[in-house]
Amino acid sequence: MIRLVDATVEYPNGTRGLDGVSLEIEPGEFVVVVGLSGAGKSTLIRTVNGLVPITSGELYVDGDAVHTMTRRELRRLRAQIGMIFQGFNLVDRASVLDNVLVGRLHSVPTWRSLFGLYSRVDTELAAEALERVGMLERSHSRATALSGGQRQRVGIARALAQQPKVVLADEPVASLDPPTSHAVMQHLQQINQNLGITTLVNLHFLDLAVAYGQRIIGLREGKVVFDGPGEACTPDVFEGIYGRSLTAEDTLTDDAELG
Amino acid sequence: MTSVVEGAVKKPPPTPRPSSFALLGSLLAVVLTVITAITVEFSFAELIENLTRRNLVVEGLLSPDVSQVWSDRSLRAFIETLQLAILGTATGGVVALPLAMWATDFGNPNTPLRVAVRTLNAVIRSIPDLLWALLFVTAVGIGVLPGLLALFFFSIAVVSKLTADTLDGVDRGPIEAALASGASVPQMLHTAVLPQILPAYSSFLLYGFELNLRASAVLGLVGAGGIGARIEFFRGRGEWSEVWGLVLMFFLVVFIVERVSVSVRRRLI
Repeated sequence: MIRLVDATVEYPNGTRGLDGVSLEIEPGEFVVVVGLSGAGKSTLIRTVNGLVPITSGELYVDGDAVHTMTRRELRRLRAQIGMIFQGFNLVDRASVLDNVLVGRLHSVPTWRSLFGLYSRVDTELAAEALERVGMLERSHSRATALSGGQRQRVGIARALAQQPKVVLADEPVASLDPPTSHAVMQHLQQINQNLGITTLVNLHFLDLAVAYGQRIIGLREGKVVFDGPGEACTPDVFEGIYGRSLTAEDTLTDDAELG
Repeated sequence: MTSVVEGAVKKPPPTPRPSSFALLGSLLAVVLTVITAITVEFSFAELIENLTRRNLVVEGLLSPDVSQVWSDRSLRAFIETLQLAILGTATGGVVALPLAMWATDFGNPNTPLRVAVRTLNAVIRSIPDLLWALLFVTAVGIGVLPGLLALFFFSIAVVSKLTADTLDGVDRGPIEAALASGASVPQMLHTAVLPQILPAYSSFLLYGFELNLRASAVLGLVGAGGIGARIEFFRGRGEWSEVWGLVLMFFLVVFIVERVSVSVRRRLI
């Protein structure tokens, strides 16, 4: 589904976000990416939908070469990839439904969307996505009126409304409290299991990574330093990824047990 | 107050001496003002002498003729001024929105085109309203059309400048989300950016209308229609009571419009 071959991202200031990464993610996998901040988690996830272009190497999504795509082709690719963000990235002044309809824009001709003329199918898909995250009753609330957990559920609904093949989640629970974090992670897990959507999630809480990741990829200084099933992740493995001993800040709950 | 602990009286550190830069700057400002006053030959004596002489302009001011404001021609000129201000603001304000958006990095990924739009905006902003009016009076002749064109460009200048400043501060998160979902740039601007700037933008339109209303009085003086043309007509005939009557009415209209506009704008933001 997603294949990187010796992919490198070098930013204009010379730092390497990714350094010769090769990996393959199968359709329907639930992959958690862990690593310290600055290890390249965000970069990796953003290369998949072309928000960050790779500067050398190859990247394929569903067999299509992302590294050679034109702007038009990139838009078509992004339409198939839903994205969820740490800061939710909702339009505060717009309604919940309008925020979710952003996920349908790719199928609406520009002139129609400028008049807000969404088709019935688009509205129904948005409603269905809201239903799936339990937010349908709040369709006409303003995004500002929601709690953090509710906002992230709207963010998930926006991604689902795209009917994506892949979902990318960049630190989706970093701004949420522990119970809400689990609720959001469970939504992502259900979507992966029920709809078979390939899911790639960045996390920095290691107990969450072990609890939800079928497969865990460890990044350090832009390189893959671990790639294996969640059960194989012992504290020793995480210390190897982080390059230091673990502290209470590395887990969501203080008494979490790893491995 | 004395300190409880003997010998431990708290004193703030001594005020730092003003920097030599500030001193030099202030001195320069004073010197420049004095030099310019001398070179334009400003004199209080002349001012007082001119004001105390018998003066038709000032006498007109003491007996303004408000009655002729209700004459057909003056009323029509008033309405024309309002029409000019409304039309100029509406058309210029609408054009200003895409111009401001196309000048941002997220609204226009094409760098050469963005530089071109920014340059165009800068040129439009650097030309004052009266100069626009003079330009268009020369180009299309005396009348309402040059006034409308002048206010059109003046509105673009004001509204695009203020909107551009607001665009600098928008939340980039929704922009990234829209682009990540495969939206086109115009779609992204419409769904992710416009809702964020709409209240401020509406307020700028009202502010532009205030400025245009005031400007339209001056535009008439150079032949660009409206109430200014009527004022210029009476001024040319030396009928100062009529001039001041019109000015008084105009002042009232501007005052009322501004009060309303300010209270509406306060509600918007």
